[in-house]
Amino acid sequence: MNFRTFATFVGPSVFMMLLFIAFPLVSVFKQSFYITQPIYETVETETCTPGFLTQTCVTEQVSQPKLDDDGKIITRTDFVGLQSYRNVLEPERAWRAISDGNWNVLSTINFWKALRFTLTFTLITLPLVVVCGLGIAILINNAARSIRGPVIFVSLLPFIITPVIGVLSINWLFRGDGILTAMMEWWLNRDIALFAQAWTIEVLMMLYRVWHVAPFAAIIFYAGLQTVNQDSLESAVIDGATRWQRLKYIVIPHLMPLIIFVSMIHLMDSYRVFEEIVGFSSQGYVISLQWLTFDYLTPDQAGNRSISRASANSMLTMIGVVILLIFPLRRTWRDHKGGH
Amino acid sequence: MAEIQLRNVGKRWGSFVGVHNFDLTIADREFLVLLGPSGCGKTTTMRMIAGLEDATEGNILIDGKVVNDLEPKDRDVAMVFQSYALYPNMNVYENIRFPLKVRGIDPDTHDEKVRRASAMVELDDFLHRKPAELSGGQRQRVALARAIVREPNVFLMDEPLSNLDAKLRVSTRAQIKNLSHELAVTTIYVTHDQIEAMTLADRVVVMKQGVVQQVGSPTEIYDRPANTFVAGFIGSPAMNLMEGEVSGGVFRADHAEIPVDAPDGPMTLGFRAEDASLADAGGQITAPIYTLELLGDATMISVRVGGALVSVKADKTFRAEIGEPVSFSVPKDICHLFEAGSGARIGG
Repeated sequence: MNFRTFATFVGPSVFMMLLFIAFPLVSVFKQSFYITQPIYETVETETCTPGFLTQTCVTEQVSQPKLDDDGKIITRTDFVGLQSYRNVLEPERAWRAISDGNWNVLSTINFWKALRFTLTFTLITLPLVVVCGLGIAILINNAARSIRGPVIFVSLLPFIITPVIGVLSINWLFRGDGILTAMMEWWLNRDIALFAQAWTIEVLMMLYRVWHVAPFAAIIFYAGLQTVNQDSLESAVIDGATRWQRLKYIVIPHLMPLIIFVSMIHLMDSYRVFEEIVGFSSQGYVISLQWLTFDYLTPDQAGNRSISRASANSMLTMIGVVILLIFPLRRTWRDHKGGH
Repeated sequence: MAEIQLRNVGKRWGSFVGVHNFDLTIADREFLVLLGPSGCGKTTTMRMIAGLEDATEGNILIDGKVVNDLEPKDRDVAMVFQSYALYPNMNVYENIRFPLKVRGIDPDTHDEKVRRASAMVELDDFLHRKPAELSGGQRQRVALARAIVREPNVFLMDEPLSNLDAKLRVSTRAQIKNLSHELAVTTIYVTHDQIEAMTLADRVVVMKQGVVQQVGSPTEIYDRPANTFVAGFIGSPAMNLMEGEVSGGVFRADHAEIPVDAPDGPMTLGFRAEDASLADAGGQITAPIYTLELLGDATMISVRVGGALVSVKADKTFRAEIGEPVSFSVPKDICHLFEAGSGARIGG
């Protein structure tokens, strides 16, 4: 293929990637080093109240944003280096808490609190998604041909449902006297409040995520199972391998590239956990890094958004994803090199 | 060491008959070849012995014990697949060791057994390589070593040479023959290549559409084919077969008049290309040359007799033009006679 044809095919994609991925990223990266603030001026105001014989007047000095001729607030953007990152990470407080072994204090810093949950969420759901996905795929693969279609459809349903709707339905099933909570209360004969403490909310969130993503993993693994060499499986049967040994020594190694692919997609996706926080309204107990960025962007009472802290937080989130991805990528690279 | 008995074994899928009424005893240490074209049921028969397919009829016995309901791993057979069926994620050493590992055989003995098996197939220098890094012949040898390593009672080989090139096939064939002699284990070998069958087998079973056509030693099958199918399948080139009519002790077809000992009636006559010879004139077959093929060690002359192409091997120096008349000497004693309808052999 000559360069011109190549460029014609690839050009639009590169342009879109630059426009919608690279430029925003550079912009966020830049903004994380700057702080934009309104310029305030101190104005002396005299407030008088009517009184007997004489008025009572009070002179106050009020700080208010400076306005330009059109009545808009004048802002100033300063380069602050890593200050926004410091504001987000609060390294001194965090370090003191870590050296004192005082985890409660650490969890009062939003970033570390969010990081703790995000990492727990990601690392616990990852193996569950892979194992459940593989389980469903094997189930589909072993189902009789006549019922395979319906089984695939039913197992894909959770993935088709919009995340917010999915989260809300789980939420309603368990919240207050939701049907499942009511059933558990009846069964255990005690009051259960699943939304009254952080850990139960976290479990429900993970449950939801696994329920939602496992079908995606399953369908990828199911496709992979179709390419397992039947002769190798039969050879293993004759060699004396049990069902479990065949899975361990033949099927799983064959599916390993797909397992890594699903893991990478899941790592990227679950590290940006957001819908669960909103859907479960859990911000009082549990927050995630992505939600924290959203929170920084929400205007406060004075109408200000913490753009620089949001930028710093999202850069830190991205760095986290990259660090997590290094492990599967290294393995893929090793396999790639080993295969040649 | 094991004797295998197949007692009226059959396999059906719905109304389709894969194997019909297979009845045979395979002696201990015998090298038996199942031979036939694609879809004749030879692989299905082997898979039933291995336990990969259930027999829908009859019994399979290994050493006098019915094994129909036994799992493949409990039948103590080892199988070599056409596609080698190696485990791509394991190196050669681990591939060969796999049966020992999954059967829970004492790990201390693994190394010695693996090295002995790999030495037998001359793979010592490749133990650390992955299957993807091996040639076709080396992969086939790994599959052989994996079958040898746990010293099974029965070897099953499913067209093990068909993925190799012609030259390698000859040398691997020799290696298999040597191994089978050395190990002295009952071996069942499936192939569609009659040369493999002739060179390797103690006995050959020729199959067609799930039915056994003939069982016998390679010489028997070659010299006395039981029917026209076997006659046409065995030998290179296959036996010449001509349809015609016998009357008054003479077989007649277009361009052919061959004296035979047979009753009158329609009949199929066969003879091998190498048994007949060129005649100066007045041979039993006289016809214009249809084609001439130079084989190096001989020249193959073909003529058309009735609807069939009849070939005769002549001296390598023989040359003639296509269309020139040629005469073949086909004496009575080289002729095989078969019934016209059923194709069954007539006479002893």
